[in-house]
Amino acid sequence: MTAWEKQASRRAIWFLLPALGMLAVFVAWPLIRAAWWSVTDADLLATDDAHWIGAENYSDLLRDPRFRHAFLNTALFAILIVPLQTLLAMVLALWVNRPEPAWRWLRTVFFLPVVVSLPVLAVVWTLLYQPEQAGETGLINRLTSVFGFADRAWLRDPSLALPALAAMSIWQGVGLQMMVFLAGLQGVSREQLEAAQLDGASAWQRLVHVVIPSLRNTIAFVVTVTTILAFRLFVQPYLMTRGGPDDRTLSLVQYMYETTFLNLELGRACAAALLFLTWVGFLTWLQRTLFNEEKS
Amino acid sequence: MSGRRRDHITRWAEALLGSASVVVALLFLAPLLWTLIGSFRVEEAIFRLDAASLIDPRMWTIENYGDAWRRASLGPALAVSIGQVALIVAGGLLVNSLAAYAFARLQFRGSDALFAAVVMLIILPVEVIAVPMFFTARDLGLTGGLGPALAGLTLPFMAKAFNIYFLRQHFLNLPRQIEEAAVLDGARVWAQYWRIALPSIKPALATVVVLDVLTHWGDFLWPLLIGTREETRTVQIGLANLFTQPPVQWGDILACAVIATLPVLVMFRWLQRYIVATQVHTGIK
Repeated sequence: MTAWEKQASRRAIWFLLPALGMLAVFVAWPLIRAAWWSVTDADLLATDDAHWIGAENYSDLLRDPRFRHAFLNTALFAILIVPLQTLLAMVLALWVNRPEPAWRWLRTVFFLPVVVSLPVLAVVWTLLYQPEQAGETGLINRLTSVFGFADRAWLRDPSLALPALAAMSIWQGVGLQMMVFLAGLQGVSREQLEAAQLDGASAWQRLVHVVIPSLRNTIAFVVTVTTILAFRLFVQPYLMTRGGPDDRTLSLVQYMYETTFLNLELGRACAAALLFLTWVGFLTWLQRTLFNEEKS
Repeated sequence: MSGRRRDHITRWAEALLGSASVVVALLFLAPLLWTLIGSFRVEEAIFRLDAASLIDPRMWTIENYGDAWRRASLGPALAVSIGQVALIVAGGLLVNSLAAYAFARLQFRGSDALFAAVVMLIILPVEVIAVPMFFTARDLGLTGGLGPALAGLTLPFMAKAFNIYFLRQHFLNLPRQIEEAAVLDGARVWAQYWRIALPSIKPALATVVVLDVLTHWGDFLWPLLIGTREETRTVQIGLANLFTQPPVQWGDILACAVIATLPVLVMFRWLQRYIVATQVHTGIK
């Protein structure tokens, strides 16, 4: 060990202490507390008076139809969003991936909703989705009526509410994923593309056999990130539908929020949080395994 | 012959692509344009888009902005939001880059295991620990009053597993020779970090700033939990209150939405530039 290395490892603690201290206090400790509360009957207003009740919260949750709804709604939301948003982001990236500066403005347009915050857009889209009401019609119903569709209460229709939230979310987030794909496209080998062109491959063949295979890692990254984001759904149903109609847009996070602050059942909410974490961990593991296997 | 015809077809295709782009761009922008227009319209004209009402000066107003500003106390709310994001970004930059540098360069026994533990926290969604985190913040006295509440809004989010991981990656990519040369000059560990390593990863630092700004400007759940007092409300919570508490005035809400967007819009060019540079080296690998 050189003198510098000795000094370095002695200094390491001071470099690590601030960040690790904060992670311990604000992340690890709350996580341990959540795990403890999840096996107790903890009440929001009397956390010190929590008693061990074993796995009761977990078995209650699995029997609770509202929790099942929340899980299925959130899963459906993810199923709607992940493939559509990934595909759309890739199409947009291929579309605007041209050197001329004129295409830069189009990139900017697609990226714009990303910088406008989600709560703001949730509020705005509630107005956009508004059905006719005393002569006031939201922009979306105006647009669909041009094509001859009937006026719809998008956010109050049980079968439309969740897809409506998904559509808004895709519009909001697709620009960010497009940027990720644009970055990924820089890594596509120019030589391979030119070689394919010389061999007479059509644009479509080049896309399928050269571009998409080299975007593999990017696609894996986008799918993983979008899935986790989709399962964190909260702001849209909280502001746009309050989880309604008939709990059709109730999300997992919203269920946890309501169980804590409306029902004061802290123990059960923490059990839900841990199940949620297990699920996210499982999905991450699953996607990593799937994408790694494809490689070999 | 075919060459000229081909040119012709290409030109047509280009024109088609161009006009399709314009249409899609307009559709994509419509919600934002509508918000901007609506924020300057009198209440009964917000949903009216006919020519007659659009050219009628009586249908336009700037009063929504004054009303929104007053009703959602946007002055203090903007100060809280900007302070919140600035503190998270500045504090986070320091503590995360310090830890990242230690993990990249200052090896010690157990450092790899410790780093693996940090990496595991990357996928932990904040929603999972939000409620117990609230108790922790309360126990530490971070809820009452402006100063403590600002600390409560920011301290829990400064240290971030992903940012540590991301910055470490960039420190590792730095050529060791620069630092070794500095060692010969007698530079100490701190100086290595502060004068040599940190300035060399400026683009990565910018990326971290961009991601943090975008994430935390839109924060909702945590400010909702912790910012219950009037003086510690963020802009987003102010907007949500306008939206949910009667009397509901659409004009005020839209004006508030515009105001809540302006601070990030000012940074837009910069945000967009560094988000592109971002993800290439990131978690993609």
